[in-house]
Amino acid sequence: MARYTDGMSSDQLAQELQRDPVIEAYKAGIDRSLLRERLKRSPAERVEDLAALAHFAEQLARAGAALRPPR
Amino acid sequence: MTDFGALIAALADAGVEFILVGGVAATVHGSARLTRDVDVVYKRTAGNIERLVTALTPHTPYLRGAPPGLPFSWEPATIARGLNFTLTTAIGDLDVLGEITGGGGFEQLAPHSQVVRIFGRDVLCLDLPTLIRTKRAAGRPRDFEAVAELEAIQEETRGE
Repeated sequence: MARYTDGMSSDQLAQELQRDPVIEAYKAGIDRSLLRERLKRSPAERVEDLAALAHFAEQLARAGAALRPPR
Repeated sequence: MTDFGALIAALADAGVEFILVGGVAATVHGSARLTRDVDVVYKRTAGNIERLVTALTPHTPYLRGAPPGLPFSWEPATIARGLNFTLTTAIGDLDVLGEITGGGGFEQLAPHSQVVRIFGRDVLCLDLPTLIRTKRAAGRPRDFEAVAELEAIQEETRGE
């Protein structure tokens, strides 16, 4: 009986055996177009983007807090 | 808010031997997820612990989430007696880790690290396969999506 692993190299088979069905389920929700854009940037640019994003998130959090009535 | 550049500069400029792990390492490899702290594995030698203490002392490190006023003293003896410290500092949150699950300490991780230049400094960063392995080993449900993204990055970079 043919198996889906037939024809796989030992490396491919090892990778297949390591696949976690829970992680695979999460992978379906990953935006790969976003990842491809991220991968076009250098590591230095990626961490600078992270710093800018963290700053933006902080500004949003402060703006949101200012909108909430005081307790 | 964490000043990622200032934290990394403080460690690198003081000559601390460390490896970037966690969310910033994931960002280096292409993750689009937002992280709020810097995680590093530090070499547990007396000299390096001394440099670590010197690097962070000006930034008043304290145990993150702990009530104020605890008798916590940021000094080499404290680091030598402990292992992993989750800190808050004047320039942001920093986890200084002697070991990580599934990866071990600095000596075990160094062969699985690569030099990256970020914020104008050359620093060691855990490589992508080892970052995935350690996050999987940690087995925390909140890491599932992060692991999925890292594996997707690995597939993209391998052209799968």
